[in-house]
Amino acid sequence: MKLGNNLRKIRFEHDEISQQDLANAVGVTRLTIHSIEAGKFNPSTLLALKIARFFNKSVEDIFSLVEDESEQ
Amino acid sequence: MKNTSQTLRTIVITLGFLSVALFVYDLIIFVRLQPKMVAFESLTGFEENLITWAGIGLMVILLFFLLSLLSLVRHVKSANEVRPFPLFLIIAGVVALLCVFADVALLSDIHKQYRHGLAQPEWTLVYPIIAGQLLVALIFTFLHLSGFFVRKQPDEIVRDINVFLVVQYVGLVCGLMGLTSAGLGFIYRTAYNPLTHVVLTGIVLLFPYALAVLYWLMIKLREKERQWFDEKQLQDVGKSALLTLLISAVYMTALFIFNLQDLAGVVRLVWLPLHLFGVIFLFSLGNLWFSKRI
Repeated sequence: MKLGNNLRKIRFEHDEISQQDLANAVGVTRLTIHSIEAGKFNPSTLLALKIARFFNKSVEDIFSLVEDESEQ
Repeated sequence: MKNTSQTLRTIVITLGFLSVALFVYDLIIFVRLQPKMVAFESLTGFEENLITWAGIGLMVILLFFLLSLLSLVRHVKSANEVRPFPLFLIIAGVVALLCVFADVALLSDIHKQYRHGLAQPEWTLVYPIIAGQLLVALIFTFLHLSGFFVRKQPDEIVRDINVFLVVQYVGLVCGLMGLTSAGLGFIYRTAYNPLTHVVLTGIVLLFPYALAVLYWLMIKLREKERQWFDEKQLQDVGKSALLTLLISAVYMTALFIFNLQDLAGVVRLVWLPLHLFGVIFLFSLGNLWFSKRI
C-alpha cells in the first residue's frame, strides 16, 4: 500500500492556486508540495491536516491508500 | 529600498566597466612585460608600478564579482525556481571569483621567480584565466545593463528553497575544486607547500561557500516564523548527512591505511582538506540528489 493524493486536481479546482501559494499557506517549501503531488514524499499528519483545512476538506478527500502495483 | 537597489545597480555597473577595462589593461601590460621577465631583463620603475596597479585592480574586480553574485542570488531567491541560465551564471561567477585569488598567487609566483632568476611557467596559465574572467565580467556587466538582475515584484515566499539550493550548488563547485586542489598534492609531492597549498587554498576555496551559507543564515534569521528546514528538506538533509557519513568514513579509512604505508607522505598534509571538501561535496551532492535537482 502507498499514499496516493489528488492534490493537483484539488489545487486546480480552487482557482488554480499555485504550488507556491499553497506552500506559503501551509508553511512549507514549494518543492515539498511538488514532491507530495508527484508521490515522492509522504507528508506528516500535521501537514496533511493543514492542507485539508486550507481546502476546507477532510484528509480522506485529498489523501487515500492505494494498492502498490509492485506488491502484487 | 528602490533607491538603494538603484544605487547598488549603478555602483555594480560602474565596477563592471572598470573590471573589463582592468582585465584589458592586465592583458596589455602582461603581453608587454612577459618577454622582458622571461629573458630576465631589468624592469623600469614605471613597469614595476604597472604591475602594482594590476594587483590593486584585482581588488576592484573581486568587489565586482562579489556584488554581482549577491545580485544574482537575490534574483534567484525571488524566482519561481533555479533555472539553468542563472545556475550557469552562479557557477561561472564563483569560479571567476576564485580565479581572482589564483591571479594573485600566479602573479606573486611569477614576480618571485623573476627576481630569483627562475623560469616562469605560470605565464601559460595567466592568459586563459584572465580571458575567462574577462568573458564572465562582460556577461555580468551586460546583464546588469539589460536589467536582468532588477528584481520584479516577487511572489511572497514563506519558506525559502532557492537560496538553499544555490548554497548546495556553490558547495558542489567549491567541494570539487577543493578536492582537486588537495588531490594535486599526490601528483606534485615535492612542490606541495602546507601554508600555500593547504591553508591559503583551503581558506580561498571555502570563501564562496561560507558567504553563501551566511546569506542563507541571514534569510533564516529574518523569517517571521523561523523553521530551519521544512519536513521534506529535513528528510533530504538527513539522508544526505547519512550518505556523507558512510562515504567519508570509508575514504578516510582508506586514507589512513594509505598514510600508514607512507608516514612521511603527502596524506599528513592533505587529510584535512580532503575530509573538509569531501564532506562539503558529498553533502551538497546528496541534498541536490534527494531534492531531485540533479
